Amino acid sequence: MLAIARSVERRWSATVKPDQELIAEALNGQAGAFAELASRHRAPVERLCQRFFSDHELARDLVQESFLKAFAALKTYRAEMPFAAWLRAIVINLCYDELRRRRRKPEELVGDFTEPELDWMQLVNTASPEDIVAAAEERRNAHDLAHRLLDMLKPDDRTVLVLKDSEDMSVSEIAATLGWSEAKVKIRAFRARQVLRKHAERMLSAERRWAAR
Amino acid sequence: MGCAMNCFEARRDFRAFWRRELSSERREAFLAHLRGCPGCDGAFRNFALSAPVMHSDVTPERRREDSPRVREAVPARRPAMAYRATARRREWFSISAAAMALAAGVVAAYLSVSAPVGNLNDVLSQQEPQVEPVVDLFGPGTAQTFNQDGGFAG
Repeated sequence: MLAIARSVERRWSATVKPDQELIAEALNGQAGAFAELASRHRAPVERLCQRFFSDHELARDLVQESFLKAFAALKTYRAEMPFAAWLRAIVINLCYDELRRRRRKPEELVGDFTEPELDWMQLVNTASPEDIVAAAEERRNAHDLAHRLLDMLKPDDRTVLVLKDSEDMSVSEIAATLGWSEAKVKIRAFRARQVLRKHAERMLSAERRWAAR
Repeated sequence: MGCAMNCFEARRDFRAFWRRELSSERREAFLAHLRGCPGCDGAFRNFALSAPVMHSDVTPERRREDSPRVREAVPARRPAMAYRATARRREWFSISAAAMALAAGVVAAYLSVSAPVGNLNDVLSQQEPQVEPVVDLFGPGTAQTFNQDGGFAG
Protein backbone atom coordinates (compact mmCIF):
# COMPACT_ATOMS: atom_id res chain seq x y z
CA MET A 1 0.00 0.00 0.00
CA LEU A 2 2.80 2.33 1.01
CA ALA A 3 4.74 1.39 -2.11
CA ILE A 4 1.75 2.28 -4.30
CA ALA A 5 1.36 5.62 -2.56
CA ARG A 6 5.05 6.34 -3.05
CA SER A 7 4.97 5.47 -6.72
CA VAL A 8 1.91 7.68 -7.26
CA GLU A 9 3.65 10.50 -5.43
CA ARG A 10 6.80 10.02 -7.53
CA ARG A 11 4.80 10.04 -10.75
CA TRP A 12 2.89 13.12 -9.58
CA SER A 13 6.06 14.99 -8.67
CA ALA A 14 7.55 14.05 -12.06
CA THR A 15 4.60 15.55 -13.94
CA VAL A 16 3.89 18.56 -11.71
CA LYS A 17 6.23 21.44 -12.42
CA PRO A 18 7.51 23.54 -9.52
CA ASP A 19 6.32 27.15 -9.20
CA GLN A 20 9.67 28.59 -10.26
CA GLU A 21 9.57 26.69 -13.54
CA LEU A 22 6.05 27.89 -14.28
CA ILE A 23 7.07 31.47 -13.52
CA ALA A 24 10.00 31.23 -15.92
CA GLU A 25 7.70 29.87 -18.60
CA ALA A 26 5.15 32.63 -17.97
CA LEU A 27 7.90 35.22 -18.28
CA ASN A 28 8.86 33.65 -21.59
CA GLY A 29 5.34 34.27 -22.85
CA GLN A 30 3.65 30.90 -22.30
CA ALA A 31 0.12 31.89 -21.34
CA GLY A 32 -0.81 28.46 -19.98
CA ALA A 33 1.96 28.55 -17.39
CA PHE A 34 0.50 31.42 -15.41
CA ALA A 35 -2.99 29.93 -15.67
CA GLU A 36 -1.69 26.76 -14.06
CA LEU A 37 0.06 28.80 -11.39
CA ALA A 38 -3.16 30.67 -10.67
CA SER A 39 -5.26 27.54 -10.41
CA ARG A 40 -2.69 26.05 -8.05
CA HIS A 41 -2.82 29.02 -5.64
CA ARG A 42 -6.43 30.03 -6.09
CA ALA A 43 -7.88 28.26 -3.03
CA PRO A 44 -5.73 29.96 -0.34
CA VAL A 45 -6.16 33.34 -2.04
CA GLU A 46 -9.94 32.89 -2.08
CA ARG A 47 -9.97 31.81 1.54
CA LEU A 48 -7.95 34.85 2.57
CA CYS A 49 -10.27 37.23 0.72
CA GLN A 50 -13.29 35.60 2.34
CA ARG A 51 -11.84 36.24 5.77
CA PHE A 52 -11.95 39.94 4.98
CA PHE A 53 -15.23 40.23 3.09
CA SER A 54 -18.54 38.41 3.43
CA ASP A 55 -19.61 39.48 -0.05
CA HIS A 56 -18.70 36.59 -2.34
CA GLU A 57 -18.78 38.73 -5.47
CA LEU A 58 -16.35 41.20 -3.97
CA ALA A 59 -14.09 38.41 -2.75
CA ARG A 60 -14.09 36.91 -6.25
CA ASP A 61 -13.25 40.30 -7.78
CA LEU A 62 -10.36 40.68 -5.38
CA VAL A 63 -9.05 37.24 -6.28
CA GLN A 64 -9.10 38.21 -9.96
CA GLU A 65 -7.42 41.51 -9.26
CA SER A 66 -4.75 39.83 -7.16
CA PHE A 67 -3.78 37.50 -9.99
CA LEU A 68 -3.83 40.35 -12.49
CA LYS A 69 -1.50 42.35 -10.28
CA ALA A 70 0.72 39.33 -9.76
CA PHE A 71 0.91 38.75 -13.50
CA ALA A 72 1.75 42.39 -14.17
CA ALA A 73 4.44 42.38 -11.48
CA LEU A 74 5.84 38.94 -12.25
CA LYS A 75 9.12 40.42 -13.49
CA THR A 76 9.77 41.87 -10.04
CA TYR A 77 9.37 38.48 -8.34
CA ARG A 78 12.60 37.16 -6.81
CA ALA A 79 13.08 33.45 -6.37
CA GLU A 80 14.43 33.77 -2.80
CA MET A 81 10.84 34.11 -1.61
CA PRO A 82 8.23 31.37 -2.10
CA PHE A 83 5.70 32.38 -4.75
CA ALA A 84 2.82 31.73 -2.32
CA ALA A 85 4.21 34.25 0.19
CA TRP A 86 4.79 36.84 -2.54
CA LEU A 87 1.27 36.38 -3.83
CA ARG A 88 -0.15 36.54 -0.31
CA ALA A 89 1.50 39.93 0.22
CA ILE A 90 -0.26 41.22 -2.90
CA VAL A 91 -3.62 39.87 -1.73
CA ILE A 92 -3.20 41.29 1.77
CA ASN A 93 -2.42 44.76 0.49
CA LEU A 94 -5.37 44.68 -1.91
CA CYS A 95 -7.76 43.56 0.84
CA TYR A 96 -6.38 46.15 3.24
CA ASP A 97 -6.86 48.93 0.68
CA GLU A 98 -10.38 47.73 -0.01
CA LEU A 99 -11.20 47.62 3.71
CA ARG A 100 -10.03 51.21 4.08
CA ARG A 101 -11.97 52.28 1.03
CA ARG A 102 -15.18 50.70 2.28
CA ARG A 103 -14.77 51.87 5.84
CA ARG A 104 -18.08 52.92 7.35
CA LYS A 105 -19.07 54.28 10.72
CA PRO A 106 -19.52 51.49 13.30
CA GLU A 107 -23.05 52.76 14.07
CA GLU A 108 -24.13 51.92 10.55
CA LEU A 109 -23.06 48.35 11.04
CA VAL A 110 -25.12 47.79 14.15
CA GLY A 111 -28.37 46.86 12.53
CA ASP A 112 -31.13 44.53 13.52
CA PHE A 113 -30.33 40.87 13.77
CA THR A 114 -32.34 38.41 11.74
CA GLU A 115 -34.07 35.38 13.22
CA PRO A 116 -31.38 32.93 11.99
CA GLU A 117 -28.68 35.15 13.46
CA LEU A 118 -30.49 35.32 16.77
CA ASP A 119 -30.96 31.56 16.73
CA TRP A 120 -27.26 31.18 16.21
CA MET A 121 -26.50 33.54 19.09
CA GLN A 122 -28.90 31.63 21.31
CA LEU A 123 -27.11 28.41 20.39
CA VAL A 124 -23.73 29.98 21.21
CA ASN A 125 -25.12 31.09 24.56
CA THR A 126 -26.68 27.80 25.57
CA ALA A 127 -25.25 24.80 23.66
CA SER A 128 -22.20 22.75 24.58
CA PRO A 129 -18.87 23.73 22.95
CA GLU A 130 -18.97 20.58 20.78
CA ASP A 131 -22.44 21.41 19.47
CA ILE A 132 -21.39 24.98 18.73
CA VAL A 133 -18.46 23.82 16.59
CA ALA A 134 -20.61 21.28 14.75
CA ALA A 135 -23.39 23.78 14.10
CA ALA A 136 -21.06 26.53 12.89
CA GLU A 137 -19.86 24.42 9.99
CA GLU A 138 -23.25 24.24 8.36
CA ARG A 139 -24.70 27.63 9.23
CA ARG A 140 -24.16 30.41 6.80
CA ASN A 141 -25.62 32.93 9.27
CA ALA A 142 -22.83 32.09 11.71
CA HIS A 143 -20.43 33.38 9.07
CA ASP A 144 -22.54 36.44 8.36
CA LEU A 145 -22.72 37.33 12.02
CA ALA A 146 -18.99 36.80 12.43
CA HIS A 147 -18.41 39.19 9.54
CA ARG A 148 -20.71 41.76 11.13
CA LEU A 149 -18.75 41.46 14.34
CA LEU A 150 -15.43 41.81 12.52
CA ASP A 151 -16.79 44.78 10.54
CA MET A 152 -16.84 46.71 13.81
CA LEU A 153 -13.05 46.71 13.87
CA LYS A 154 -10.94 49.39 12.25
CA PRO A 155 -9.30 48.26 9.00
CA ASP A 156 -5.83 48.20 10.58
CA ASP A 157 -7.04 46.13 13.53
CA ARG A 158 -8.98 43.69 11.40
CA THR A 159 -6.11 43.16 9.01
CA VAL A 160 -3.67 42.38 11.81
CA LEU A 161 -6.11 40.07 13.55
CA VAL A 162 -6.85 38.08 10.41
CA LEU A 163 -3.19 37.75 9.51
CA LYS A 164 -2.05 36.84 13.00
CA ASP A 165 -4.86 34.58 14.20
CA SER A 166 -6.18 33.08 10.98
CA GLU A 167 -3.16 33.01 8.70
CA ASP A 168 -0.66 32.26 11.49
CA MET A 169 1.71 34.97 10.32
CA SER A 170 4.37 36.19 12.74
CA VAL A 171 4.56 39.80 13.93
CA SER A 172 7.68 40.41 11.83
CA GLU A 173 6.03 38.93 8.72
CA ILE A 174 2.97 41.15 9.15
CA ALA A 175 5.15 44.20 9.76
CA ALA A 176 7.17 43.49 6.61
CA THR A 177 4.06 42.88 4.49
CA LEU A 178 2.23 46.03 5.57
CA GLY A 179 5.29 48.23 5.98
CA TRP A 180 4.57 48.87 9.67
CA SER A 181 6.74 48.67 12.77
CA GLU A 182 6.50 45.51 14.88
CA ALA A 183 5.32 47.60 17.83
CA LYS A 184 2.39 48.87 15.78
CA VAL A 185 1.43 45.34 14.79
CA LYS A 186 1.47 44.21 18.42
CA ILE A 187 -0.58 47.17 19.62
CA ARG A 188 -3.12 46.72 16.84
CA ALA A 189 -3.50 43.00 17.58
CA PHE A 190 -4.00 43.70 21.28
CA ARG A 191 -6.57 46.43 20.62
CA ALA A 192 -8.41 44.35 18.04
CA ARG A 193 -8.85 41.45 20.45
CA GLN A 194 -10.12 43.79 23.16
CA VAL A 195 -12.67 45.44 20.87
CA LEU A 196 -13.79 42.10 19.46
CA ARG A 197 -14.28 40.63 22.93
CA LYS A 198 -16.25 43.70 24.05
CA HIS A 199 -18.61 43.56 21.07
CA ALA A 200 -19.07 39.79 21.34
CA GLU A 201 -19.96 40.10 25.02
CA ARG A 202 -22.44 42.85 24.20
CA MET A 203 -24.09 40.79 21.45
CA LEU A 204 -24.43 37.70 23.61
CA SER A 205 -25.70 39.61 26.63
CA ALA A 206 -28.33 41.32 24.42
CA GLU A 207 -29.50 37.89 23.29
CA ARG A 208 -29.56 36.63 26.92
CA ARG A 209 -31.66 39.60 28.01
CA TRP A 210 -34.14 38.83 25.26
CA ALA A 211 -34.27 35.14 26.13
CA ALA A 212 -34.88 35.97 29.81
CA ARG A 213 -38.10 37.87 29.00
CA MET B 1 -9.67 11.01 32.98
CA GLY B 2 -7.39 13.29 30.99
CA CYS B 3 -4.79 15.61 32.42
CA ALA B 4 -6.01 18.70 34.24
CA MET B 5 -5.78 21.94 32.29
CA ASN B 6 -5.39 25.50 33.52
CA CYS B 7 -7.05 28.61 32.12
CA PHE B 8 -4.02 29.68 30.09
CA GLU B 9 -3.76 26.28 28.37
CA ALA B 10 -7.50 26.12 27.78
CA ARG B 11 -7.62 29.52 26.08
CA ARG B 12 -4.60 28.66 23.99
CA ASP B 13 -6.47 25.58 22.77
CA PHE B 14 -9.61 27.42 21.61
CA ARG B 15 -8.50 27.47 18.01
CA ALA B 16 -7.24 23.88 17.97
CA PHE B 17 -10.55 22.74 19.47
CA TRP B 18 -12.48 24.70 16.86
CA ARG B 19 -10.45 23.12 14.08
CA ARG B 20 -10.77 19.66 15.68
CA GLU B 21 -7.01 19.35 15.99
CA LEU B 22 -6.87 18.31 19.65
CA SER B 23 -6.11 14.74 20.63
CA SER B 24 -9.03 12.97 22.31
CA GLU B 25 -7.31 13.11 25.70
CA ARG B 26 -6.60 16.83 25.45
CA ARG B 27 -10.07 17.45 24.12
CA GLU B 28 -11.58 15.79 27.16
CA ALA B 29 -9.37 17.87 29.45
CA PHE B 30 -10.37 20.99 27.54
CA LEU B 31 -14.10 20.27 27.84
CA ALA B 32 -13.75 19.35 31.51
CA HIS B 33 -12.01 22.65 32.15
CA LEU B 34 -14.74 24.60 30.36
CA ARG B 35 -17.43 22.81 32.38
CA GLY B 36 -15.75 23.85 35.61
CA CYS B 37 -14.59 27.36 34.68
CA PRO B 38 -17.30 29.94 33.87
CA GLY B 39 -14.66 32.50 32.82
CA CYS B 40 -13.15 30.26 30.14
CA ASP B 41 -16.60 29.02 29.11
CA GLY B 42 -17.72 32.61 28.49
CA ALA B 43 -14.49 33.41 26.68
CA PHE B 44 -15.02 30.40 24.41
CA ARG B 45 -18.54 31.56 23.57
CA ASN B 46 -17.21 35.01 22.69
CA PHE B 47 -14.54 33.35 20.57
CA ALA B 48 -17.22 31.28 18.82
CA LEU B 49 -18.88 34.39 17.42
CA SER B 50 -15.91 35.35 15.25
CA ALA B 51 -14.45 31.87 14.76
CA PRO B 52 -16.61 30.88 11.76
CA VAL B 53 -14.72 33.47 9.72
CA MET B 54 -11.43 33.58 11.55
CA HIS B 55 -10.80 29.89 12.09
CA SER B 56 -12.86 27.88 9.62
CA ASP B 57 -11.47 27.06 6.22
CA VAL B 58 -14.82 26.32 4.66
CA THR B 59 -17.59 28.82 4.08
CA PRO B 60 -20.95 27.04 3.92
CA GLU B 61 -23.03 27.70 0.86
CA ARG B 62 -25.75 30.27 1.34
CA ARG B 63 -29.07 28.53 1.91
CA ARG B 64 -32.34 29.87 0.60
CA GLU B 65 -33.40 31.25 3.98
CA ASP B 66 -30.03 32.96 4.32
CA SER B 67 -30.21 34.83 1.01
CA PRO B 68 -30.13 38.65 1.28
CA ARG B 69 -33.69 38.94 -0.04
CA VAL B 70 -35.06 36.60 2.61
CA ARG B 71 -32.90 38.21 5.29
CA GLU B 72 -34.44 41.58 4.50
CA ALA B 73 -37.93 40.12 4.71
CA VAL B 74 -37.34 38.53 8.10
CA PRO B 75 -38.32 40.93 10.89
CA ALA B 76 -35.72 41.52 13.56
CA ARG B 77 -36.38 40.88 17.24
CA ARG B 78 -35.78 43.06 20.23
CA PRO B 79 -32.21 42.23 21.32
CA ALA B 80 -30.85 43.97 18.27
CA MET B 81 -32.88 47.01 19.21
CA ALA B 82 -31.50 46.86 22.72
CA TYR B 83 -28.01 46.69 21.32
CA ARG B 84 -28.68 49.47 18.89
CA ALA B 85 -30.24 51.56 21.65
CA THR B 86 -26.91 51.41 23.46
CA ALA B 87 -25.21 52.76 20.37
CA ARG B 88 -27.89 55.45 20.04
CA ARG B 89 -27.48 56.45 23.69
CA ARG B 90 -23.76 56.72 23.12
CA GLU B 91 -24.39 58.84 20.05
CA TRP B 92 -26.78 61.17 21.95
CA PHE B 93 -24.34 61.42 24.80
CA SER B 94 -21.54 62.53 22.47
CA ILE B 95 -23.86 65.03 20.69
CA SER B 96 -25.01 66.58 23.98
CA ALA B 97 -21.42 66.70 25.25
CA ALA B 98 -20.36 68.49 22.07
CA ALA B 99 -23.27 70.95 22.40
CA MET B 100 -22.36 71.69 26.01
CA ALA B 101 -18.72 72.22 25.08
CA LEU B 102 -19.78 74.57 22.29
CA ALA B 103 -22.05 76.56 24.64
CA ALA B 104 -19.26 76.78 27.22
CA GLY B 105 -16.90 78.00 24.48
CA VAL B 106 -19.36 80.71 23.36
CA VAL B 107 -19.86 81.92 26.95
CA ALA B 108 -16.11 81.98 27.55
CA ALA B 109 -15.52 83.90 24.32
CA TYR B 110 -18.23 86.41 25.20
CA LEU B 111 -16.80 86.99 28.66
CA SER B 112 -13.25 87.37 27.38
CA VAL B 113 -14.38 89.93 24.78
CA SER B 114 -16.90 91.91 26.86
CA ALA B 115 -14.93 92.19 30.13
CA PRO B 116 -11.73 93.88 28.82
CA VAL B 117 -13.72 96.33 26.67
CA GLY B 118 -15.66 97.43 29.74
CA ASN B 119 -12.46 98.00 31.68
CA LEU B 120 -10.83 99.82 28.77
CA ASN B 121 -13.80 102.15 28.45
CA ASP B 122 -13.54 102.93 32.12
CA VAL B 123 -9.85 103.72 31.75
CA LEU B 124 -10.36 105.85 28.62
CA SER B 125 -13.15 107.85 30.19
CA GLN B 126 -10.96 108.59 33.18
CA GLN B 127 -7.87 109.91 31.40
CA GLU B 128 -7.30 111.69 28.11
CA PRO B 129 -4.64 110.13 25.90
CA GLN B 130 -1.53 112.22 25.40
CA VAL B 131 -0.50 111.88 21.73
CA GLU B 132 2.64 113.51 20.43
CA PRO B 133 1.64 114.89 16.99
CA VAL B 134 5.01 114.61 15.24
CA VAL B 135 5.21 112.12 12.37
CA ASP B 136 7.90 112.68 9.79
CA LEU B 137 6.48 111.17 6.63
CA PHE B 138 8.86 112.34 3.92
CA GLY B 139 12.23 112.45 5.59
CA PRO B 140 14.32 115.41 6.73
CA GLY B 141 13.79 118.76 4.97
CA THR B 142 10.20 118.04 4.00
CA ALA B 143 8.94 117.43 7.47
CA GLN B 144 5.21 117.56 7.81
CA THR B 145 3.47 116.82 11.04
CA PHE B 146 0.03 115.73 12.07
CA ASN B 147 -1.79 117.47 14.81
CA GLN B 148 -4.01 115.74 17.30
CA ASP B 149 -7.13 116.03 15.08
CA GLY B 150 -5.46 114.14 12.21
CA GLY B 151 -4.69 117.19 10.01
CA PHE B 152 -1.32 118.58 8.97
CA ALA B 153 0.23 121.03 11.35
CA GLY B 154 1.99 123.83 9.54
